Amino acid sequence: MKFESQLQLQAYLDGEMPEAQRREVEAWLAWDPEARALLNELRQTDAALAVGDCDLKLPESREFYWSKIQREIRRLETADSVPDRSGVWHWLTLWRRWLVPVGGLAILTVALIWGAWFSGRPNSLEVVLTSGNGTTYRDQARGMTLVWLSFPAENRFPEDELDALLFY
Amino acid sequence: MASVEPSKTASASAVLDDMALVQAARQGDMAAFEELVARHRDKIYARAYSMMRSEQDALDLSQEAWVRAWQRLDQFQGESSFATWMTRIVINVCLDALRRQQHRRAESLEELEEEAGGVERFMPVVTVNPTAGLEREELRTRIDAALAKLSWAHRTALILHSFEGMDYKQIGQAMGCSLGTVMSRLFYARRKLAALLADLKEERTES
Repeated sequence: MKFESQLQLQAYLDGEMPEAQRREVEAWLAWDPEARALLNELRQTDAALAVGDCDLKLPESREFYWSKIQREIRRLETADSVPDRSGVWHWLTLWRRWLVPVGGLAILTVALIWGAWFSGRPNSLEVVLTSGNGTTYRDQARGMTLVWLSFPAENRFPEDELDALLFY
Repeated sequence: MASVEPSKTASASAVLDDMALVQAARQGDMAAFEELVARHRDKIYARAYSMMRSEQDALDLSQEAWVRAWQRLDQFQGESSFATWMTRIVINVCLDALRRQQHRRAESLEELEEEAGGVERFMPVVTVNPTAGLEREELRTRIDAALAKLSWAHRTALILHSFEGMDYKQIGQAMGCSLGTVMSRLFYARRKLAALLADLKEERTES
């Protein structure tokens, strides 16, 4: 029997089927013993279930069971009426309020320091290319010179381009 | 003069009392809400247990459901009984918990099995009524044992349909799945339950 047919039998049993379709199922049941047997099994299961589920008693005393419910209700009502000043969200909200002005101020300060640093020391670092395989860095402010040698030469410029770059 | 059946009178009175308690609880009367908890706690706990199959989970989640109910008392319009409304809440709380508990891998395998048809589809039909002649309590115990062996998805579909009287559409909404999935879950659950009950009958006969 097809699965769809099995589900049709169940829908017939549960009264979840339009009248016209019910008549079709009844005609089918009249000649098909397999369908009748399945319908009978479904009916028996339903009849067994009709006794209802077990009568369970709460395994706790009335007072104990209620006390937890009451505590939770009070906790929620308190949480609703008083803003939570201890949670992370509270601190995040406070931070968010100050984030834009503080952030803006910080960016401005960094920009000013950066500008002052480079504008006040225009020629503090000088790069001098001495040859194809050596470079000299000279820091005027600190009185420091660094010579970088590489072999074979890292920068092999054509002679005319090299002339243009040399400024010592 | 029209007479009213005593059981119906008692039931109507209980509903009215629940409504009065709900209205008092809406005004912040905790004692009224405690009374509602005391009246329905066993049923709510039992539903949580039937879905979770764990005493501790059932305790925690039924208490969570009561807290959620307190927060949503304004939404209770009295269209259904308070017990029904409360049961829906605990079912939703348990379904949320079950979804959280499921490992991704296990979930995918189960879905694959459902799409492929599952072994229940090919099981031989149980022809003899496996529960015939059983006392009510014994039958309940046996069904409970069989339900414990079903997957959470199959068990929940069956509980919602057979114990809560939900139709396919309502089950689909509660479980967040399509009608086709509801139908297949329900079908496999019933077939597996029939086989399990038959096995339990055989075990009992042999012993």
